[in-house]
Amino acid sequence: MRRPDGLLDGAARALSTRLASGMTRRSFLGRMGGAVLAATGGAAVAAAVRPEKSEAFHFCGHIWTTGSCPNPLGLPRIDKNGFPLRPSDGHPIDNLGRPVNADGWAVDGSGSRLRSPDGEFLPRAPRTRICEEWTNEQYGLDAVMEGAWYRCCSGQVRKLVDCCSFSKKRINGDASLTGYCFNGRRVFCVMYYDSGLKC
Amino acid sequence: MVETFTPAVCGSRARQRLAIVLFALAAILASAALGAVLGLVGSLIGTRPALIGAAALAFLALLRETGVLRLPIPQSRRQVPEGWQYELPLPLWSTGYGAGLGVGFLTFQPVATFWVAGAAALALGRPLAAAGCFALYGAGRAFMATWPRRREPSGPAAVEKLVGRASLVPRANAVVLALAVVLLAIAPAAGAAVTSLGRGFDPAADGQTLARARMDSGTIKVLVNPPDPDPTDTISPANAPALDGDYLAYEDDAGIKVIDWRNDSPVTQLDGPYSHPALDWPLLAYIRDDGEYERLILADLSNPGHPTHRTIASVRPAADLGRPALRGGRLAWHRVVHGGSAIYVLNLANDQRRAVKRTNIWMEANPSVTAQRIVWVEHRPGGSYLRMKWFGSKRTKTLMHLNGRKTFLWTTALSGRTAYVTKWTPSTQKSVVLRVNF
Repeated sequence: MRRPDGLLDGAARALSTRLASGMTRRSFLGRMGGAVLAATGGAAVAAAVRPEKSEAFHFCGHIWTTGSCPNPLGLPRIDKNGFPLRPSDGHPIDNLGRPVNADGWAVDGSGSRLRSPDGEFLPRAPRTRICEEWTNEQYGLDAVMEGAWYRCCSGQVRKLVDCCSFSKKRINGDASLTGYCFNGRRVFCVMYYDSGLKC
Repeated sequence: MVETFTPAVCGSRARQRLAIVLFALAAILASAALGAVLGLVGSLIGTRPALIGAAALAFLALLRETGVLRLPIPQSRRQVPEGWQYELPLPLWSTGYGAGLGVGFLTFQPVATFWVAGAAALALGRPLAAAGCFALYGAGRAFMATWPRRREPSGPAAVEKLVGRASLVPRANAVVLALAVVLLAIAPAAGAAVTSLGRGFDPAADGQTLARARMDSGTIKVLVNPPDPDPTDTISPANAPALDGDYLAYEDDAGIKVIDWRNDSPVTQLDGPYSHPALDWPLLAYIRDDGEYERLILADLSNPGHPTHRTIASVRPAADLGRPALRGGRLAWHRVVHGGSAIYVLNLANDQRRAVKRTNIWMEANPSVTAQRIVWVEHRPGGSYLRMKWFGSKRTKTLMHLNGRKTFLWTTALSGRTAYVTKWTPSTQKSVVLRVNF
């Protein structure tokens, strides 16, 4: 059981972390200045000092604002071919987010295949690529996995991968950037692959 | 009416009692009939629009009863046609008075609540249940014709006493209407009326009769529940029921059997690696697993000597064709492969097949059809959804959904405006059949 002052400290730390991850120091000061001016001098002056967009923490190795590609469990962790993996441990999952064995059958925590009410094995659910199938179907695009860059995360090399399309808008709804895409494509959303190589 | 049902008006105490009994019976029957009609209309137009309408009507009535809004209500300005008691024989006028008051709208309406109850009966969409609820209205009318006189021999004096307490009625009525608004407004959140029908899986429905499989002590049996008062029929061991009138198809260790479930007499059987029957007699669809392929077969058993068997679809064993559905001249099935899933429907009249839903991401599974509609389950990472579509419409409607991955929706059945679906929790091995009225 945590002491009340410990809980308070924890809450304050979480709040400061959120603030720090949501804004750079420059953007924070910019917003503060804008608020003060807005209160005293009016919106026209405040607009002149509006801060730039915050550089949000996304996931380890990615601090820019392009969002994650659609995926089953919230973080776009993929294997080397672009199929979904469980973010916590890299176990292969199907499109419903269930862990699967090497043949693609859904399994429980002990690795046994899941069964239907009559005792038969459950059928395999689809397992398709995050960029080429998930993103394209949900957003009506022709996206492909293209550019990549590398960062060190949790002691191993992480490959960050752009899902690139010809869309001028990215998954966030605003203008897309060229990033590491090529042939006229732009970054629509991002994914990552943990290589297992030490760094 | 208190003043009417007196020995003086009726002629004697015996005739008074007869008039009261006839009045009460007529009032209850008339209001029950009105409820049944409203419930039937509700079942035809769909419960959700009626439910929203009922909530709106209850809110308007609440405003009217609290004096915020002035609204006229459809009603007759008289209570009953007074002349009947002088012109008609007693059995006729007492029955007529009861029926007139029982249906409600042929008489004076002091409050608007009757119309809210009518809209609620419409929203219920179930004629029998609505009739039962509305019968209480008729019973209330009958009760009020006799109860005020229990200690007061004079009719007019009893009425005067009642009028003295009338100021309580609008306040109590406003409270009831406020409750009705809340209850009716939160009801549509479920999307449709969902009721658990208890343990079981793989439902099959035809009219009011529901069949399901159930696991008991390691053995799977099939239960056929006809409407009351007919008893439940049990077949064991049996699995994967399909129902068409008195005929029941199921799978067992030998293959597929078709029986007349009312007298348990065999109709036909197919021995072999056959499973998942769907029945629209004399048509039978089933899955044949020959090891190399899983095939969906449509058999025509109209000529027992020369049955025809036609392959409709086939997949490798790693893929799945699931449990087909056959009704109203349409055959539906799912196809789930590594790269996606789809729901297909074959129109048997013109042999045209089309994908009702196709996706590279989600798992579309376990369809059921009638001549007008199709329902199926869509599995997503966040939960499973019971979808419904009219043939000829592009719009897909969600009848219900379950959040999370631990419990999900599974096999379905469809009969009229009622869908049935299995709710399955693999970790606890618990499965129940849900009824979804839409």
